[in-house]
Amino acid sequence: MTISQIIFLVVAGFTLASALMVVTTRNLIHAALFLVATLFGVAVVYAILQAGFLAVVQVVIYIGAIAILFIFAVMLTRRDMRDRGPQMNRMQWIGALLALLIFIGLSFLLSSWDGYSAVAQEMPADFDTMGRLGEALVSPDAYLLPFEVASVLLLAALVGAVYVAYTRR
Amino acid sequence: MMSFSDFTTILPLVVLTAWACVLLLVDLLIPRNRKGITALFSALGLALTLGLTIAQLGRQGSGFNDMVVLDGFSVFVNALLLVSGLLGVALAYGYVKRMGLERGEYYTLLLFSVAGMMLMAQAADLIVVFLALELLSIPLYILAAFARPKVESEEAGLKYFLLGAFSAGFVVYGIALVYGATGTTALSGIVAAIPSSSTLMLTIGAALILVGLGFKIAAVPFHMWTPDVYQGAPSAVTAFMAAGAKVAGFSALLRIFATAFPSLGSSMSDVLWALAALTMIVGNLIAISQSDIKRLLAYSSIAHAGYILMAFVPFGNPDVRAVSVAAGLFYLVSYAITNFGAWGVVIALEKAEGRGLALDDYAGLGRKYPALAAAMTIFMLSLIGLPPTLGLVGKFYLFRAVIAGGYVGLAVIGVLTSLISAYYYLRVVVIMYMREGEPTTTSEPYLNMTTAFAALVTVIVSLVPAPLFAWASSAVLKLF
Amino acid sequence: MDWVIWLIWIVKGFFLAMFLLVGFAYLTWYERRALARIQVRVGPNRAGPFGLLQPIADAVKLIFKEELTPAKAYKIVFFLAPIITMVPSIIIAAVIPWGPQEPQVKLFGYTISLYVADINVGVLYLMSIASIAVYGIVLAGWSSNSKYAMLGGLRSTAQMISYEITLGLAFVTVILLAGSMRMLDIVEAQRSWWFVVIQPVGAAVFLIAVLAEVNRAPFDMPEAEQELTAGYHAEYSGMKFALFFMAEYQKMIVVSAIAATVFFGGYLGPFVHRWPLLGPIYMLIKIIILLFGMIWVRATWPRVRYDRLMAFGWKVMLPLALAIVFITGFGILLAQELGDPIYLTVIPAASIVAGVIAVIMVNRALTRKRILSYEPR
Repeated sequence: MTISQIIFLVVAGFTLASALMVVTTRNLIHAALFLVATLFGVAVVYAILQAGFLAVVQVVIYIGAIAILFIFAVMLTRRDMRDRGPQMNRMQWIGALLALLIFIGLSFLLSSWDGYSAVAQEMPADFDTMGRLGEALVSPDAYLLPFEVASVLLLAALVGAVYVAYTRR
Repeated sequence: MMSFSDFTTILPLVVLTAWACVLLLVDLLIPRNRKGITALFSALGLALTLGLTIAQLGRQGSGFNDMVVLDGFSVFVNALLLVSGLLGVALAYGYVKRMGLERGEYYTLLLFSVAGMMLMAQAADLIVVFLALELLSIPLYILAAFARPKVESEEAGLKYFLLGAFSAGFVVYGIALVYGATGTTALSGIVAAIPSSSTLMLTIGAALILVGLGFKIAAVPFHMWTPDVYQGAPSAVTAFMAAGAKVAGFSALLRIFATAFPSLGSSMSDVLWALAALTMIVGNLIAISQSDIKRLLAYSSIAHAGYILMAFVPFGNPDVRAVSVAAGLFYLVSYAITNFGAWGVVIALEKAEGRGLALDDYAGLGRKYPALAAAMTIFMLSLIGLPPTLGLVGKFYLFRAVIAGGYVGLAVIGVLTSLISAYYYLRVVVIMYMREGEPTTTSEPYLNMTTAFAALVTVIVSLVPAPLFAWASSAVLKLF
Repeated sequence: MDWVIWLIWIVKGFFLAMFLLVGFAYLTWYERRALARIQVRVGPNRAGPFGLLQPIADAVKLIFKEELTPAKAYKIVFFLAPIITMVPSIIIAAVIPWGPQEPQVKLFGYTISLYVADINVGVLYLMSIASIAVYGIVLAGWSSNSKYAMLGGLRSTAQMISYEITLGLAFVTVILLAGSMRMLDIVEAQRSWWFVVIQPVGAAVFLIAVLAEVNRAPFDMPEAEQELTAGYHAEYSGMKFALFFMAEYQKMIVVSAIAATVFFGGYLGPFVHRWPLLGPIYMLIKIIILLFGMIWVRATWPRVRYDRLMAFGWKVMLPLALAIVFITGFGILLAQELGDPIYLTVIPAASIVAGVIAVIMVNRALTRKRILSYEPR
């Protein structure tokens, strides 16, 4: 086993464990914090995959903006910071079974995929991921249209969010 | 390098989106009590876009690295969507004023939604399909909740949003699996890669996409949200949603399945068969027990999703594909027009606080407002599929295509469920003419125009359906 | 020699951390002296010559103070929050270059680069660490289980998130001008003109956003004494409080260093490419001048009311930042298309117009009658 494999295993274990804690912990703030840990683990996985840009963006957007807004919302809406009540409902075993089945199914599917056993090539040191990504996003031969549609979509969502949240005086 | 032809393929879409963005700014200058001006501007934008779309007739092409295509199919569907948008604005014009919902955002969001639907009809890449799906849905979630803080409307918006987000998850998962199997998201690439890819993964991916879009078109068993959302949303929104979202969803389904997955025809046809049959049966049976006109029309919309789904069943069979696509398009037109007319009558009778929506409120309509009652009768006949209406012609073409594809059983189910549906549609007619009552209606010029237009189209086109069907038949999909 | 490289890294990191820790201590002294001068006082002058030993006296005092933990606080998070605040304020400094790459600095036969880390997404790294810094404050506010602390935490979150967008856009102008996200490239791109000359409004926007980002006056709402006692660290005492205090001043140093790097030419100065060790000295001078600016602002301006602060962030700073990004991009494109860098002058000209328009609009909004005779509803 190489060092990077060990690092990957540790990070993956950490990510999965915190993901598990997100759904099992009772306190909502704790869940949000474990979510932050999970997202951070994912960022590290990106870094291991030499996707530095994605790793940093993952931190900026998911940890720096989205998760903090989760925490923000929880802090604003909870009156009692100690969450009570049952953690699981009656469907827990069915849910677990379903999740297990889906996991087995997906593993089976993936194992039949030819990319499953392929080894990714090391990227050349001077490979300009940022430049490639930027060009792909705004080049009409690549992803210009989805990029622009996404911005229109966000505009529409923004207008909608303001309308829904706005209190008329 | 970018060429101008990239833009000409989606010129109507670009114009409409830009118009919506500008409208957002123009709306700031329009005084709060005169938002009707915004409505007129938005209608102007839709009309302009409709003109540009018609000008594209007969053109073929693709742009942006094959992410969008322009073909007869997309022009036909786009024209239908833009007409739906225009009718949606016309229905909303007086309605939102009367209900105290008159806000400029209504029309901007509507334009964004139409833009999303149009993109869906043109999308030839699964990424674009997904983005278009979101672009059409998100404004609709907001529009459904537009009457906030009315609880029903908020509930409708939230329900639609949660289930919509859930279904979008299915679509994305499906796209991911298809990408995993074929290594591309472009429909043309998928067709080329299918022979050498994992069929199981591809089938599951296609099935998940079907599930996700099934939510959008309200096919059973993904229909649970429909009655509550249709009932809770403002009626003008519901009318637009029922027509537009359905047309867009079906056009995406048609394009994806007929162009990218024809090889899955043998395994998917049975699923689609069951889906269509189930949707027709469940929608029509539950509609019988409804006493609220909005819920009744909601279940009717589910049932009609089932009829349109029939056009998909033979999608893997190249001999009947063209004729079934044409029949599906024709049926979409007939459903959209009839639907707008029926909702126009509902809006005319609806009053504030959700009154005027029970079936009993229609009692005496035939005596007091004969024109309105006559129009409603036409729409009900069209929904059943009786002469002299568009619904009959649409069903005729549809059943013919299905039988030609060899699915006689499905056609029989279609005919039987149509018979069942006659019971509850005719009940509306009976209440209007046979019962005594004192209904009150609101008469608004644009509303009356919409209803009259829908009624006239429903009758006249049914007498001379050939040109429309010829257009639908020429509106073939660009295959890869 | 693999281990030597490791050793160099560790030593450099150690020096950087020590610089920030000692810098923090003397920044407090610097601030108190400067404030005192502005307010016609003397400031700390008893401990040692010119009061130079005052920070040490403060440290001793804080170390021996009793540490209180509120009875209903969330112990673990309460303990972790000061650390989470402290760590980003140090590690963010890793990508700041202190001297040029060429000519190389040789020490005991080894080449020593004058930065800790050189990554190709340097600016994004800064943004990501800045966004993590919010957590310490939020968690401190939440875990104290006290209303004042909680409100302080909430306020700072909202404020930092709002101004982060403006900050990011100000960074975008720099990235556009330099054509790179590497900090070294950004500094080297300023050899002919500092970016503050090309994009003066961008620099102003950056400095204002940075003040809000580090919760300094006039944007120090999270710790507004009159309303919230001490904001998010109201329940902290002793060394835990000292950590927050340290983090705040270290952030000041670090953001001054970042501002110096991206807008004021970083380590650039006369002869720096002949004697690279001049780089750190120039950098230090720039940092000290920028720090004085921050202190000056604190001495001069009253605190902004919270709703005004948010309105300012969203309604003035964000549109202005968007405008200058657009102007910058437009100017660069113009210069490229016409093949003459003289057209880059469009950028400062148009940006200043945009900035003046923004100032006029703020001024008009503030002098409207309704605002002048404001009565709370």
